[in-house]
Amino acid sequence: MQMLIRVFLVLLFMCAAWVRAQSSAPLPVSEIAPGNFVHYGGLEERSAANLGDNANIGFIIGNKCVAVIDTGGSFALGEGLRTALRARTALPVCYVIITHAHPDHFFGAAAFRGEQAVFVGHQNLPRALQQRGTFYLKTLIRDLQDLARGSEVVEPSLLVKDRLELDLGGRTISLTAWPTAHTDNDLTVLDSSTSTLWTGDLLFVQHTPVLDGSLTGFLSVIDQLAQLAPAHYVAGHGRTDQGWNAVLEHERRYFQLLADETRRALKSRRTLQDAIETVGVSETENWVNFDLFHRRNVTAAYTELEWED
Amino acid sequence: MRSRLSWLLLPYVCIFAFVAPARANEKAEPDPAQSTYWEPIRKIMFGDREILDGKDVLRVYLPLRADDASTVPVTVKAQIEQKPDYYLKTVYLIVERNPSPAAGVFHFTLDSGRVQLETRLRFEDFSHVRAIGEMSDGKLYMSSRWVRAAGGCSAPNARNYVPPALMGKMKFKFEDETIKYDEPALVQLMIRHPNESALAGDFDPSKVARFVRSVVVSYAGKPVMTAEVDFSISENPSFRFSFVPHGAGELRAEVEDTHDQRYMQTLTVSEGQKLPGG
Repeated sequence: MQMLIRVFLVLLFMCAAWVRAQSSAPLPVSEIAPGNFVHYGGLEERSAANLGDNANIGFIIGNKCVAVIDTGGSFALGEGLRTALRARTALPVCYVIITHAHPDHFFGAAAFRGEQAVFVGHQNLPRALQQRGTFYLKTLIRDLQDLARGSEVVEPSLLVKDRLELDLGGRTISLTAWPTAHTDNDLTVLDSSTSTLWTGDLLFVQHTPVLDGSLTGFLSVIDQLAQLAPAHYVAGHGRTDQGWNAVLEHERRYFQLLADETRRALKSRRTLQDAIETVGVSETENWVNFDLFHRRNVTAAYTELEWED
Repeated sequence: MRSRLSWLLLPYVCIFAFVAPARANEKAEPDPAQSTYWEPIRKIMFGDREILDGKDVLRVYLPLRADDASTVPVTVKAQIEQKPDYYLKTVYLIVERNPSPAAGVFHFTLDSGRVQLETRLRFEDFSHVRAIGEMSDGKLYMSSRWVRAAGGCSAPNARNYVPPALMGKMKFKFEDETIKYDEPALVQLMIRHPNESALAGDFDPSKVARFVRSVVVSYAGKPVMTAEVDFSISENPSFRFSFVPHGAGELRAEVEDTHDQRYMQTLTVSEGQKLPGG
């Protein structure tokens, strides 16, 4: 009997060690511009198998310290990002920047608690996290079960109202807080020394763009982003070799069509349900996960634009 | 009427918070007759009254898979005409797994025309939606539909922040450009209001959630649609229903929320006049 217990305990220990090794295995990252390391998340739905690895996340290394930009969809992913970071530098992490309050971007944040980093976000981020955090955690646990362990909402302590420059030593990054577009708390990060723009979910590549803020706002932000001409960029989701103007135009076309066809549906007095079934279907082949997100976008577009006069 | 509804709802906010296990991964459509959620709701709302199969009286239409759990369009259509000796008097709309299952109680008259009601609902979990029609003779008829959508009550409802200045702003939108006397006209009443869910993550339990609780619509002084509603109705509540104009008249909507704010919208309507909607 004692023997059995001993075997059981050894097995348990091995399991725990295996799980730990799994969760802290370094995430693959690519250096897309000097000092800018990106981990590209997958395009499939969140599952226990992918631990919520659905968004592009990464870090920028300066001479003095490191800034992390988004942390992945679970604590385990945050740990994986931290391990990847530690494999490349021993410098302290001074900032953890959350580009907006969606769970695939922020649930790994707690992995950086021990780094003494300052958590940074849009001035509307705390409100959004407060409104949605509990719900997001509940659904994360539903999907990942035990593998969601450690994931939690980390409140930002440094808020960006308009613009903010952060010094990483020999490299300054500028953060821009945007008006309501993808969400009401979108933040972008520009590393001017390499002309690399981290867009958060203001830019979707391959993956169907998602509207959780304002359609008219998104279109106007895309116009402003088009004025920038970064040499390198990191979209919130997906990757491609196409240049800045091409990917931005691809996204703009989708939202413009969504706006035009929704307005047309409203003008011809069609109902929400009717609009959901007909608006934007010609874009089906152009994006991944269209079935999962497009109809929701139409709902958001319709309920926003029906108040236009 | 108002207090009756609150009385109906309150126990559920408490009971369901503790009892109902989230079974959100249920893939197959469960049998509405076997639902364990329904029995306690039925007892409280209808007591021992018999509820008959409603497919020949009223039907409820919803997408099987709702894409946005905070805004799911629902339509209830009567299968019979409103006649003086026999008409559909009340429709109870119930999302049985929502924390407060009675989404609304809607009253109709002979001036409503054949009843058609459309609104938008929040869903906390996959759920049967039940529409129970009460006829003028007091008999009850039920139709139901299963919907896969989850997270609408506690999920975010602040996508379109309502600035205080716009609070209570209303619009009428007609399905057709003009009306004809003695024929039903479909009109949508839109209300700018956050319709706060008391279950949302940010909700301070010491406060009273601010949502629209009553809607009274009349035409030429006679009621056409009166409703007591709840936060299972999506933000910026929308109600589409019909009424039968027998001559020129004023369409009037009076709305009251849980913070005792009252809002009113009127529109004078006559045959041939171009009506808002496009």
